[in-house]
Amino acid sequence: MKIDDKRSFWILPLAALFFLVLPFITPYKALASQMLIFAIFAIGYDILFGYTGLLSFGHAAYFGLGAYGAGLSLVHLSVPTLPALLIGVIISVLLALVIGYLSIRRRGIYFAMVTMAFAQMIYFIVFKWRSLTGGRDGLQGVPRPNVGPINLSSELTLYYFILFFFMISVFLGIRIIHSPFGKAIECLRENEDRARSVGFNPTRFKLMSFVISASFAGLAGGLYALLQNFVPLHALNLDTSGDIVLITLVGGKGTLYGPILAAMVILFLKDLLTSYINIWPLFLGLFFVISVMTFRRGIFKELKEKLLKF
Amino acid sequence: MDYNFIFAQLFNGLILGSIYVLLSLGLTVIFGTLGVVNFTHGALYMLGAYATYTFVTLLNLHFIFAILICPIIIGLIGIFLERLLIRKLYKLPHFYNLLLTFGIMFFIQDVIKIVYGPEGEPFNIPRFLDGSINLGFMLLPQYRLFIILITGFLALGVWLFIDKTKLGAIIRAGTDDSEMADALGINIPRTFTLVFGMGAALSGLAGVIAAPVQDVQPLMGMNFLVEAFVVVIIGGMGSIKGSIISGLIVGELITIGIIFWPPLATTLIYIFMAIVLIIRPRGLMGRAAFFE
Amino acid sequence: MVVLVVAVFCIASLAKAADTVKVGLISVLSGPLAVIGNGEAWSAEMAVKDFGTVLGKKIEFVTRDHAYNPGLANEKAKELYEKENVDVIVACPNSAAALAVAQQALLHKKPFMSTSAGTTDLIGKNCNRYVIKMNYNDYMLATTAGLWGAEHLGKRWYTITTDYAFGHDLLKNFTAALAKKGGTHVGNDMVALQTADYSPYILNALKAKPDVLVLLNVGSDTVNAMKAAVQYGLKKQCKIVHAQLFEPSIKGAGIEIFADNYVAAPWHWKVDHPGAREYADKYLKLHNERPHYMAAAAYSATWQYLEAVKRAGTTNPESVIKALEGHTFRDMFNNPGYIRPEDHMTVAKAYLLRVKRPENVKEKEDFFDIVGSVPPEEAYGPPNLFGCQMKGF
Repeated sequence: MKIDDKRSFWILPLAALFFLVLPFITPYKALASQMLIFAIFAIGYDILFGYTGLLSFGHAAYFGLGAYGAGLSLVHLSVPTLPALLIGVIISVLLALVIGYLSIRRRGIYFAMVTMAFAQMIYFIVFKWRSLTGGRDGLQGVPRPNVGPINLSSELTLYYFILFFFMISVFLGIRIIHSPFGKAIECLRENEDRARSVGFNPTRFKLMSFVISASFAGLAGGLYALLQNFVPLHALNLDTSGDIVLITLVGGKGTLYGPILAAMVILFLKDLLTSYINIWPLFLGLFFVISVMTFRRGIFKELKEKLLKF
Repeated sequence: MDYNFIFAQLFNGLILGSIYVLLSLGLTVIFGTLGVVNFTHGALYMLGAYATYTFVTLLNLHFIFAILICPIIIGLIGIFLERLLIRKLYKLPHFYNLLLTFGIMFFIQDVIKIVYGPEGEPFNIPRFLDGSINLGFMLLPQYRLFIILITGFLALGVWLFIDKTKLGAIIRAGTDDSEMADALGINIPRTFTLVFGMGAALSGLAGVIAAPVQDVQPLMGMNFLVEAFVVVIIGGMGSIKGSIISGLIVGELITIGIIFWPPLATTLIYIFMAIVLIIRPRGLMGRAAFFE
Repeated sequence: MVVLVVAVFCIASLAKAADTVKVGLISVLSGPLAVIGNGEAWSAEMAVKDFGTVLGKKIEFVTRDHAYNPGLANEKAKELYEKENVDVIVACPNSAAALAVAQQALLHKKPFMSTSAGTTDLIGKNCNRYVIKMNYNDYMLATTAGLWGAEHLGKRWYTITTDYAFGHDLLKNFTAALAKKGGTHVGNDMVALQTADYSPYILNALKAKPDVLVLLNVGSDTVNAMKAAVQYGLKKQCKIVHAQLFEPSIKGAGIEIFADNYVAAPWHWKVDHPGAREYADKYLKLHNERPHYMAAAAYSATWQYLEAVKRAGTTNPESVIKALEGHTFRDMFNNPGYIRPEDHMTVAKAYLLRVKRPENVKEKEDFFDIVGSVPPEEAYGPPNLFGCQMKGF
């Protein structure tokens, strides 16, 4: 995603305007907040899946741990909001270091299956540890302490708070992709052996990419806990892992902007479809199938190519 | 220590293990041969159960009829999916097929939910298999004995087929080196389709057998699916012997977990799975270095 | 382009018109427990239609599915209160889901008539003035069955509990009631929700040789537990008490499996309350099955809310709540029912039901006999037993 093109100069102010008014366009404000949260999650996931080429099928673990980490510190330790978010990220990162280190050694399908197994393990541990996490019922009563003078109890204020983090995430994402690290992981994705022969240590770069993506997920999770005032166990579920894969795939892996847009559209559709009749899984399945069969580069990339032809 | 009680529970674990073996047979055959992680497995299992419900409860046919016909129907559905969608992605990295089958699973599940309703259907053990046998240390329900027998018969049959028959040899050749096999004149695409159909039929049959003892509802496959994967990975993706052994182990592990430390029961098998994947990804008996 | 699409959809979604009263229902409308949610939705809708208009305004009715998932319930509550601008939310089974909706009710300052969640936290530490609790709660179900059962059925009890808030609450209250009557709790198994194979737990129970087996579960878990109990011979050895048992489970699995089992319930369609039989017959005609008490409670909650709006002369939340607090009413569900101002619990007489034997079933879905009752003070306990500190306004 290059921003030095003269034509794309007007994208930035237009996007800024869009995000500023988004909560007034969406059916209800909390939905706009949710869109941003999953967009943050998607940025991190795209770095891993799109740019490094690693399919993690258990990323809900880092999202969920971020949510539980932040939630638990808010409920039991009464820490303020910002440190709570930081704790959430730290917990995700630590687990990602361990799990990533153990999983990276395997490639392809096995990597996907190990990440899934670990995510399931974490799900069941959190599920069974009722006294701490609330088990199946989730963590109730997560407060939203003021950040300095800012009162977060209104959905609108919370949205702008989340928007701030979203902007940081986008900025970080772009910087990472355009850095030498970003080039290295793309190189790894294309041909691991050649990358190794040029002197890159694949294991170290893959692990870094894994951990970075987990930190975005952890941040998204912590914000989610704030938004919902509660952490549902479902955040750690295989469904959630599947959702983020779908978002990144449909949006266009390796584009960064694709998954962001896809997160918003898919969340909107999901809300719309579950309001009247619950046939969301039908569409989820359909999107997956169509994306994998035809739009492998992502809907937005395909659309962009078609639009540019005009 | 009440030995009767422990023995009864362990025996029960064997039955649970048999259900897992039945579930994993279809999965392992497809992965071992085609390298496809077949998420639709869960949906095909569910279709087998619903087909059984349709034939037995709605159309009033005998359960034996369901056992014979439903797997064939599900096998045909599998073949249809393979020819229409799955085969197009063989040349791509394997995760594409994983994602494709993941999507197909959700689609099929929701279609059934729309057609049959979300509540699920009540399905009882067929009359001729209902009742219990007094084994002395416990009462064994007849149907569970039936499960063990059918699973044993099937597992043996599949293993013999792959290992001892000419068609089985062709399948094995196609897996080990599809280019060479192709060069020797074997019709690889048709072999792959056949294998997928077989795997699907096995999944469907698992659904038929499970219908009287599991809740027949649209998401029944998804609940079991991840555990089925655990069984296959521990046993070794592609090894039928491995699946049988690991299915029984997993069944016993869960049952033992329930007796001694209930909170740990399901977590235990995931820990086991992670250990296996880290130390020896090929599992207990998988063919070496297939995807390492 | 995304903006355009989003904008179009937003314009298309109509806000609530100012001259209607809007009732929202959140329940489980998909998955194995949908039988509860569908009943609630049908009944609430019937109540809306039967009531007609209130204060000269039309009554609108919307439903949302939470799929028995607390996270979804939270989101749907936000959506209903904010986007759909409902005046009240009713129902919401699953205790964690109900707690989340109760929180949203407080945040949005609109009423929530909770009918199908059992947690006493709703009238205890999580109470707030916008929540009115009707129907049963875990304390009432367990205490009614426990007190009556320990007197009439036996002293050694074995429990099989589903591992979530509902199960844990029931277990706590059952064992307390049992102890009050001098019974012994000989063992318990915690079982994951929606477990299909109950054989290990039935084997555990057999080993403990109880007088009474108590199944603290609901829906398919109840059915599967009973099937295993029959197959492994436990049903012949002891009496069986359920925490909750509804007609659809009996219909699906067959009444022979449940014959002679006991359950506590706030209502049954043959109970002698004004309008109960008419309601049950109308429900039968429309839906070809008899209503369970969750459905009846949803009807009553909706009706009582609309009555309160009529009494208060406005839909203003605080006024309606004040019209409900301390109110005594007689309808098909409670005869009488009294909404306690201290904790907003609606208390009424509780019944003990026993499942009939197949040969005694005389009419369609006539599965239960009413064999006993417990007065409200004993069934629900004293007011504010759970330490509610009302907040809100």
